[in-house]
Amino acid sequence: MTFKNLFIEHDLAPEVRQWLEEEIAEQEERFKLIEKEMQDLAPTREKWYQEFFDRITTIGFNVDGDDKMKISQADLPVKPEGREDRVVWKHGVDSD
Amino acid sequence: MARPHIEPFCDRDTGFKNMILPGFAGGMRYKMLSLDVDSGACSMTVQYDGGYRRAPGFSWSEMEMIVIEGELQVGDRTCRKGHYFFVPAGYALPEISTAQGCLVLVMYNTGEPSHEESTEHHPLAQVDLYHSVDSYMDLPWAMGNVTKPSVAAGCLIKLLNYNPISHAMTFLYCMTPGYYQDNISYHDCAEESYHLWGTSWMMQFGEVPTGGYFWRPAYINHGAFASEYGCIALGRTDSKLFNHFHYNPWSTPVENVERSAARLYKRDPLLYKWCLSKDHNHPHGPEDFEDTMQRRGDEQGHDTEHKSDGKTHDHWHGHHHHEPGSPHTHTHADGTTHSHD
Repeated sequence: MTFKNLFIEHDLAPEVRQWLEEEIAEQEERFKLIEKEMQDLAPTREKWYQEFFDRITTIGFNVDGDDKMKISQADLPVKPEGREDRVVWKHGVDSD
Repeated sequence: MARPHIEPFCDRDTGFKNMILPGFAGGMRYKMLSLDVDSGACSMTVQYDGGYRRAPGFSWSEMEMIVIEGELQVGDRTCRKGHYFFVPAGYALPEISTAQGCLVLVMYNTGEPSHEESTEHHPLAQVDLYHSVDSYMDLPWAMGNVTKPSVAAGCLIKLLNYNPISHAMTFLYCMTPGYYQDNISYHDCAEESYHLWGTSWMMQFGEVPTGGYFWRPAYINHGAFASEYGCIALGRTDSKLFNHFHYNPWSTPVENVERSAARLYKRDPLLYKWCLSKDHNHPHGPEDFEDTMQRRGDEQGHDTEHKSDGKTHDHWHGHHHHEPGSPHTHTHADGTTHSHD
């Protein structure tokens, strides 16, 4: 991903490279912690999903702004068999 | 690889570290929020301690920052909570300092944090892009419907920066107390947010409090949304924001991008087919002739200003000069020649 804006070429000093390596390593640890916390949240999230389905079938699903449409029970999605509930994707579409 | 998915994260859960990179004076401490592992671009919560002073200079990277707490002196200007800066790469800021200390959100967009002492801009700096504003005091809240389909009423924005080429945006947004929006969203762009104040909730990630943060790559589900007591945050996208709403919490990023492509096919079938045919699907995109076409330039000293008096006009073809009504000859591309007397 890029903001597609100007970057001015320049040399990186060794201490800058070392700083980047350390920050990348720390970020890796931070990511693992987040991923674990979000896995642990899965049982609570299952209840949130059910509450969401209850609301969009009774009050409505926000189609655009405050325009709402009630979703029929028959149209609710079925969780694919064997698929884990995953919300953290390290590299988006390029995740494992 | 770019930046990984960091969501949710709260900077209040970690301590500050001293900034040790060259160019930054002592008294600058930071908490890393997210970092691009390829370019070093990053977002940080920065604490400038009381008495901090940094010499005039520029960064090799484009930079944005907003004052979260305290006062930051930028040259002769005192900048308070909510003051936002867009600083192009190579743009030399004056000395910055703080008497009592301040907390600032700092984002380096195109490279690692850097500071080169200088009182002059780098020759490549796009100096006209620099701007700053007191976003709390000098900008009104606007409806959040900058894109359609839109967020629900109660989510308001203040646009701080807009890139007309990539449509990337930086904006303040707030959710009013009692806000909720019952759909799941994903975007074709990466999205970043830092909670300046207050708490919001998302169905995937739970509550995001003050100091809460996320960097979310494209095509990742988020929502439904709610905020019990309201919140105010700084948000960014790295390209055009479009809300793909749905209600399937189990869809994956790959399924989401396929859905985006399917919607593009339904909406712009000719463009879609062209992009996928022959060799048109180059990863860096096709050529934009407006970027590459030959332009007239200064016409070697001729007047380039367009004339509409019917008598004089500027030239960019193989040309000759004559006075109106005077005898002259034209030679056409097919080799024929004729004259006017």
